[in-house]
Amino acid sequence: MRHIAYLFLAAISPARVGTGALARPSRAKLGCCLRPRQLSIRHGLLGAALLTSIIAAAETRPHYGGTLRVMMQSATDALELPANTTPADYWDAARTLSLIGDTLVKLDAQGRPEPALAVAWQSDPSARQWQFTLRRGVKFHDGSAASPAAIAQILGTLHSGWNVRASADSVSIESETPMPSLLAELALPRNLLLKRNGNGFPIGTGAFLVAEWQPGKLLKLAANEESWAGRPFVDAVEIEFGKSLRDQAIALELDKTDVIEAAPQAVGGAQRHSTSSSSSLSLPVELLALVFSANSKAHDPRLREALALAIDRKPIQSVLLKGAGEPAASILPNWMTGYSAVFSAQANPQRARALLADSRQLALNLSYGLSYDPRDPQAQLIAERIALNAREVGITVQVSLSGAEDIRLMRVVLPSPDPATSLTEAARQLGLPQPGFPTTPRGNSLDDLYQAERSLLNGYAVIPLFHLPVASAGSARVRDWEPGRLGEWSEAGLSLADVWLTDRRLADSRPEAGSR
Amino acid sequence: MSFRKKLLLLFAATVLLCVAVISASVYSTIRRSFEQANQDRANAVAAQFRSEFQRRGLEVVRKVESVAASETVQHIALDMNRGATDSSDYVSEARALAGQQQLDFLELVDNRGTTLSSAQWQAKFGYPETAIPAAAGPGGAFLKREELADGATLGLFAVRVARVGEQPLYVIGGERLDQGFLSTLDIPAGTSVLLYQNLDAKWNPKSLLDLNGPAAGADKIAPLVARVRDTLQESQGVIHWTSDSADAEVFHAIPLTGPNLSSANQSGANRQLMGVLLVGSSRRPLIELQRQVVSTAMLVGGAGILVAVLASLWFAARVTRPVVSLAEAARRVAAGDLGAKVEVESSDELGELAASFNRMTEDLVQQKDRTLQAERVAAWRELARRLAHELKNPLFPLQVTVENLMRAKQKSPEMFEEVFHEGTATLLAEINNLKTIIGRFSEFSKMPQPQRRPTQVNDVVRSVLRVFHAQLQEKNQISVHTELAEALPEISADPDLLHRALQNLVLNAIDAMPQGGELAIRTGTLGDRVELSVSDTGSGLTQEECGRLFTPYYTTKQHGTGLGLAIVQSVVSDHGGKISVESTKEKGTTFRIELPCEPQPWQTGQT
Repeated sequence: MRHIAYLFLAAISPARVGTGALARPSRAKLGCCLRPRQLSIRHGLLGAALLTSIIAAAETRPHYGGTLRVMMQSATDALELPANTTPADYWDAARTLSLIGDTLVKLDAQGRPEPALAVAWQSDPSARQWQFTLRRGVKFHDGSAASPAAIAQILGTLHSGWNVRASADSVSIESETPMPSLLAELALPRNLLLKRNGNGFPIGTGAFLVAEWQPGKLLKLAANEESWAGRPFVDAVEIEFGKSLRDQAIALELDKTDVIEAAPQAVGGAQRHSTSSSSSLSLPVELLALVFSANSKAHDPRLREALALAIDRKPIQSVLLKGAGEPAASILPNWMTGYSAVFSAQANPQRARALLADSRQLALNLSYGLSYDPRDPQAQLIAERIALNAREVGITVQVSLSGAEDIRLMRVVLPSPDPATSLTEAARQLGLPQPGFPTTPRGNSLDDLYQAERSLLNGYAVIPLFHLPVASAGSARVRDWEPGRLGEWSEAGLSLADVWLTDRRLADSRPEAGSR
Repeated sequence: MSFRKKLLLLFAATVLLCVAVISASVYSTIRRSFEQANQDRANAVAAQFRSEFQRRGLEVVRKVESVAASETVQHIALDMNRGATDSSDYVSEARALAGQQQLDFLELVDNRGTTLSSAQWQAKFGYPETAIPAAAGPGGAFLKREELADGATLGLFAVRVARVGEQPLYVIGGERLDQGFLSTLDIPAGTSVLLYQNLDAKWNPKSLLDLNGPAAGADKIAPLVARVRDTLQESQGVIHWTSDSADAEVFHAIPLTGPNLSSANQSGANRQLMGVLLVGSSRRPLIELQRQVVSTAMLVGGAGILVAVLASLWFAARVTRPVVSLAEAARRVAAGDLGAKVEVESSDELGELAASFNRMTEDLVQQKDRTLQAERVAAWRELARRLAHELKNPLFPLQVTVENLMRAKQKSPEMFEEVFHEGTATLLAEINNLKTIIGRFSEFSKMPQPQRRPTQVNDVVRSVLRVFHAQLQEKNQISVHTELAEALPEISADPDLLHRALQNLVLNAIDAMPQGGELAIRTGTLGDRVELSVSDTGSGLTQEECGRLFTPYYTTKQHGTGLGLAIVQSVVSDHGGKISVESTKEKGTTFRIELPCEPQPWQTGQT
């Protein structure tokens, strides 16, 4: 209903008037065609008259102003996205930086590319040469133009292996190897087109610009009046870092914050029934897996397979994850590939014992150290459960954060809806060899993908356990926001730049408050 | 060993024995007292442990009952009875409840024995708890092995049932039985307490705990624990932690049993050893006291021995002085001083002995005087007999000759002249015999003093053999055999006297072999002396004859004077030598003379 109202408003008033309670069209739906400066008094009066006529919808009418309060877990000291980081830090950095900068393209949940800074693109049949036509008139926060030359310079810095060239209104990217997944790659947060000022603050073309930065504690973002997608409704965004999920949940309940991260298992519990906030789960975009270290004592593949077969994933999912996520035996989730059922996640203790009987390592009576990320609240319990399952079949696994690490319980991000990109990225995070895809133009077919994933799983260097979603929650004052299904907060049409804030009194009375 | 030394040793040994006996007695008494004290302490600690064990058991029961009656558990039990299958909400409940009640262990188990929530091992949800249904009931606390993520441990458990509907919900709570439990005991000084958690089939040193955790030197305890494991009975042993015996401890090992939950027999008879409580008492006080006793005993014993030595020296000197005087006097008497007297100072047995000794010496002197007198008389008688015998033989021819002359004068004057000539010739011959006899006696009485000069004994032997050469040539039956040592040292002697002595011996040997035989003369050295032996193969002598052979005027020959061997003995004696005789009847006789090479100091002034 709200979107219908926005479309209607857009049709009758393609511009906003000042900073008053004038609704603006969705940034995602209407793109760059709206500019606050283009509003005229005449149009404003006409819009006001029309709004008066639809007074019944006044309480849900978008309006400008307010500060959006956000809490995050990570306590990063730098506003950047490191190559190797934990999923929590990844999401926090990606969500934060995507408010500041833009990528050339975006992907929707189905992996289809959508324009961002680039409005059009094309490639040669070999996918070695790509050309992106840039959006005109876009400026960085420092006022400089987001010209093809500037964009090419940033991309060239990010990817030294690419040959990036700028032309009058476009940027071309060339590589010696085919780049069939270039669009998915460019949509990743690590390819946000950001510059750095003298203080090291990121300067982008996004809806918000950095106003204040207290490393590890607080980031204040101000609305970018010159944003090519239109000025965001909120005046500012304040992001508090270093808040645990529990603290965030409490703050949300006490109305001390507007948007938080949430534990997926918690989203299915108490917050689902809350009347003062809304929460949502993404698609499974993380992989929880056991990874054998390079110097692990458990080098016998039969032993590793026995461990994989010993783990009963269902109780872990139903009890410890409270139903969140999906038991997994593959790296990529089923929603990406559709074939994950081929990889069986069923426990088979008898088969595990039989394998162990054949394994010479069993006679050594070794104990294998299993480590986990102590910042992950579920990791310890899951690790202990795995150790218990392993003990049942005769494998001694000692859960410990110290000592020799043979096995690691890891959570990695599957950052793209493009399966090939996610598989490549997951292999990098898991320390596995890069998956081999055919270089022929037909590359990235489902069979190629399956073979690449299968080859990564052979030898049991990694034992996939679960595909997990990420969860977010927002208070009742946050309107028109729904976290993306890919875990980000900047998906097309679902960005925090599109939300507007209402006061609590109105939120409490709105009929649709609750879960979405 | 002298009497004084013996007396000294006797005194010292007596003192030492007394000290040793007293020390051993004290040592034994102390040891018994300490052992009794140790036993009492061990019993006290064991009783305290049992009391604490019971108190903690009751406390565990109370806490578990509180948990079972809590609203949370009642809700869970209600959910179970309503058929709720999602137990994910309960996973953390046990830990929260355990925290509230300060329980180390807490598990919620449904009616099928499936763990719903575990405080000690949260990941254990969904796993069966086999021991619970058997242990459930109104009973008290019991010992149970509990599996944890990082290994097994021992706990004091209680089980209660939260029964809301038909389906029971078991609540199993407990506390660790480890060093924390031990630290709650009031342990007396000098006592240590160890707890062995019998969690493994074999001895595991890490399961032996003291107040601070795994005990050091656990392997020394292993045999004692093994005895308890084998017998399920209390046992006792001494553990030597170091080479110093004072560091040793006496340990009383007390078995801690629990129900055998894995067995079908739950009557209590089939109990399982869950742990061993070890109460150790230090032996240091005992050993130090024993050492003190020993050192005191040694000090006292040493002082006693010193005092005993001094006292015994004084006493022995007092006691043995008369004995020593007596011994000295006896030595003097033995040396020929019959005038030696012992001074009598006391009237006891020693005084009586000294007086008896003095009387004995006086008697000996008198006896000697009498003997000398008798010998002198006997000698004179012998001399008289000899003289009479020697003189009677020539006198009878003289008498007969004179009577013949007188008879011829009276009856045959014509033959008187012829008889006269024959008679005077006989008279002269017999008178010469008388002169010879008298000359021999005179010669014996006038034995000259040796005129010493370096003398080669072999030369003397050769000289004598030359003298007897002609005589021995006549008597072809006697062969002469000489073995004269080469490089025989010269001796300081009178060669003429030696010649005379050897001449007598050779003459005796020739007389002893009227039927012929062998005469052997040998010389040699014997240390710093020269030995000369003269052997014959004659008829030999009896033992009695040998004993009297050197007595003057004693002879075994028909016409001997009995002075030959006496002269030999006199010559040998004057040269500081000695002569001996060996004889075997019918085989021969050997005279052996030993002469010193240098004159003895005491001989120089001899007259």
